[in-house]
Amino acid sequence: MFAWVRLAFMALILMTIVYLCLSWYSRSVRREKLEKEFDAGGIDGDRQAFIDKGLEKYSGSLRAKLIWGVYIIPFVLIAILVYVTNFM
Amino acid sequence: MRYIKWIFWVVFVVIVFAFFHYTLPQRDIVRVTGTEIIRQDFSGWNRIFYAQADAGNEETVNRDLRLINTAYEGGGIMVFRNEDTGFGWPWYFKLDSSNLQAEAADLVSTRDAPIWVAITHYGWRNEFLTIYPNAISVREVSGPDVRLIPWLNIIIFVILGLLLLGLYRLLQRFKRRKIDPLVAQVEDSWDRAEVKAAQAGENARAPVRNFFRRWFGS
Repeated sequence: MFAWVRLAFMALILMTIVYLCLSWYSRSVRREKLEKEFDAGGIDGDRQAFIDKGLEKYSGSLRAKLIWGVYIIPFVLIAILVYVTNFM
Repeated sequence: MRYIKWIFWVVFVVIVFAFFHYTLPQRDIVRVTGTEIIRQDFSGWNRIFYAQADAGNEETVNRDLRLINTAYEGGGIMVFRNEDTGFGWPWYFKLDSSNLQAEAADLVSTRDAPIWVAITHYGWRNEFLTIYPNAISVREVSGPDVRLIPWLNIIIFVILGLLLLGLYRLLQRFKRRKIDPLVAQVEDSWDRAEVKAAQAGENARAPVRNFFRRWFGS
C-alpha cells in the first residue's frame, strides 16, 4: 500500500521541478518579447517600467495559469491508465 | 582518447536501447497452453527483474508467481509471468493479475483448435537468470498473422522527443539570457584587469630601463 505514496511523493518533486522550469521559460519568452517591442520604438516612458507592467499583466494571464496543468495532467493520466489496464 | 569516447557512446546507446526494449510494451501473438503458479525464491541477481507483491499485500522474501505458458505459431514457446506492477516501476499500474490469470485460463486452447491471442507484455525471458516477461493484458485476435501497430510506443517516443526538444530550448534560452551576460561581465572585468596589469608592468620596468639608458646610452 506504501508504493503509491512513494510514487505521489516522487511525482510531486519532479512536477515541481518541471513547473519551475516551465514558468521561468514562459516568463522569459514574454520578457524578451516585451524588450523587443520596446526597442522597436514608438513607446514612451521608461523601458524597465514598460517591461515590469507587461510581466505583471502576464502573471494574471491564462497562459501563466495553464502551467499548473503540469500538476494536474499526470494525475489525470495515471487515473486513465489505471482504468484502462485494469477495468477495460 | 578517441576510443574511450567511442566506447562511452556505444555503451550509452546500448543501455538506452536495452532500457526501452525492456520497459516498453510489446505484443506477441500466441496460443495460451496453460497457466500455473510456482513459488519463486528471488536472488540478488534476478530480484530487480521482478515486480513487487500484489498491490494490497505485504512484501516477503519469497512468494508465489503466476505464470502463463504459451506457444507461437511456428512451435516456439514463451512463458510469461503475471505480476502486479502496482504503483511501482514500470508505470503500467497493473493491479489485476488475478483477473488476467482467469482470462488467460479461459483462453487455453489446443494445437488442433487454436485460439490466437495478443499478449501485451514488457520484459525479457532469460533462462540463466530465471526471469520472465510480465504479461499486461491479453486479447483475442483473428489469427496468427494479424498486423498490430504499436500506437502506444509511437506516442511515447513522440512525447519523449518533444520533451527533449523542450529541454534543449530551455537550456539554450537559459544560456542566452542568464549565462552569456554573466560571461560577458566577467570578460569585461578581465579585460580591464589585463590593461591595468600591463600598465603596472610598464611602470615597474621603466626605472630599470632608464638606469641602463643613462649608464650605457642605449
